[in-house]
Amino acid sequence: MRVAVTGTPGTGKTTATELLGTDLEVIHLGELVRTEGLTSGTDEDRDSLVVDVDAVAARLAGRDKLLVESHVAHHLTVDRVVVLRCHPDELKRRLLDRGEPERKADENAEAEALDVILSEAVDRHGLESVYEIETTDSDPGATADAIEAVIEGDRSPSAGTVDFTGYL
Amino acid sequence: MTMADQNTWGIAHVYASFNNTIITVTDLTGAETIVKSSGGTVVKQNRDEASPYAAMQMAEVVAEQVQDAGIDGVHVRVRGPGGNQQTNPGPGAQATIRALARAGLEIGRIEDVTPTPHDGTRAPKNAGF
Ligand SMILES: Nc1ncnc2c1ncn2[C@@H]1O[C@H](COP(=O)(O)OP(=O)(O)O)[C@@H](O)[C@H]1O
Ligand SMILES: [Mg+2]
Repeated sequence: MRVAVTGTPGTGKTTATELLGTDLEVIHLGELVRTEGLTSGTDEDRDSLVVDVDAVAARLAGRDKLLVESHVAHHLTVDRVVVLRCHPDELKRRLLDRGEPERKADENAEAEALDVILSEAVDRHGLESVYEIETTDSDPGATADAIEAVIEGDRSPSAGTVDFTGYL
Repeated sequence: MTMADQNTWGIAHVYASFNNTIITVTDLTGAETIVKSSGGTVVKQNRDEASPYAAMQMAEVVAEQVQDAGIDGVHVRVRGPGGNQQTNPGPGAQATIRALARAGLEIGRIEDVTPTPHDGTRAPKNAGF
């Protein structure tokens, strides 16, 4: 099985997936993209590398016991997509605590408020493959447990369970 | 210069999330809010039907309030992919723009200013579809 763990930066993907107990190989895609240069350009405004999704897909081809963690992971072919969610105010706090600049924290918080990644995930994979997990008031261990439940088949698909548009 | 001249055109900011659409109309500087909708929330059981419909109903009310405020045209700035979309901007946003036009508002420039999630990497536009 292949699982994507996606969500706006700051929702806790890296922290939670480091705590997972699973047989799946956990891939932190951001690292792989950087170390192997799987990029198609640079977004100067956002100080970000543009991920070459086809190159990533080719790099991971043929591997079927995989958990890919990244806010780009839902662009890959996978069986289940976990979308971590976090209230934009809390998300912004987490990003600023991590030392990110204000502008970056703001754009990510707005993207979270507009469900950008959830919509992309549902559009690409369908409601039956998406599992939304709210992390705002929980801790990384609880988030890891919820991801494990998805992998084990102990959780039902869900989407649109939060409404953060009050932030806008 | 009169207020009416200043306010002939406005900007309609359309926020289209997974199950909600919100419209705010400001003056051209973006500083002054003229109308703020309460949001058209989608009924979850029937997303395909409800998303454009709720947005459309709200847009009709907004258009009327905007015209009452002396504005007869808007530039549109869309943020957000909308719900179960095939294209970007989503059905909520498209329905909103159509409804604003049908209610008699002139529609100027339409701009997609959806925020991009990023953390040192970002997805390409329209990645992986
Ligand atoms: N419930 C939670 N699950 C995961 N991380 C959380 C949670 N609550 C707070 N955090 C914190 O959020 C911050 C950002 O997490 P990180 O794993 O870097 O996010 P991402 O990889 O999604 O960008 C970390 O400091 C982490 O400890
Ligand atoms: Mg991370």
